[in-house]
Amino acid sequence: MKMMTRAVLFAGLALTSLAACKKAPPPPPPEVPAPPPLAFAGLELGKSVDASMRVVAPTDVFGLRDTIYASVATTGVASSAALGAVWTFGDGQLVDSTTVQIQPTGPANTQFSIMKASAWPTGKYKVSISLNGIAVSEKEFEVRR
Amino acid sequence: MANEKPDFSDVTSRVDSTAPIQETPKPAPRTYTVVAGDSLSKIAKKFYGNANSWKVIFDANQAVVGPNPNLIKPGQVLTIPELEGAS
Repeated sequence: MKMMTRAVLFAGLALTSLAACKKAPPPPPPEVPAPPPLAFAGLELGKSVDASMRVVAPTDVFGLRDTIYASVATTGVASSAALGAVWTFGDGQLVDSTTVQIQPTGPANTQFSIMKASAWPTGKYKVSISLNGIAVSEKEFEVRR
Repeated sequence: MANEKPDFSDVTSRVDSTAPIQETPKPAPRTYTVVAGDSLSKIAKKFYGNANSWKVIFDANQAVVGPNPNLIKPGQVLTIPELEGAS
């Protein structure tokens, strides 16, 4: 009888410790908020950009031999997005058109630049920025002698 | 009167980004060989469905066409650029 009581006690103890050892189920992972969609955040023009593709000294007046940079800031995430820059002169003469597919995972800067082997014609120019084919910004600038 | 426009054929462009860039090979530009009776308007109508888009072709081919958009010659090979936002 004594033996049996001991056995029951032991079994009970074992069960209790087993239950104590059993870990509580892990809490469900926190809900990850949906990443913000890609959006245009800014456009700056200048004669140079830094390592983060941002214009060093914004300007809208350029010299005859300058390389002209347009830095486009975006926020948000996209698996693939088309960012385009169309450069025009005067009444709309096409100077250059460039589109790039970017895959941003957060805030990003993209720089478009144009240079010319001969001198830029003086006058008014414009750069128009599009995101996935939709115009999002434009800036006018001037080339002066 | 000749339509004197600045020449931007020696313009080069670059693009770079802090975001990863997806490499997409640029499709080869279409070309068209002028035949007798052609005009830039006709060619624009043929490729873009809009004769008024002749200037896009003219701007892209000034080195071939010269300053007068009304004077194209049979045998000239014109580059037909993609229209912006046409995709």
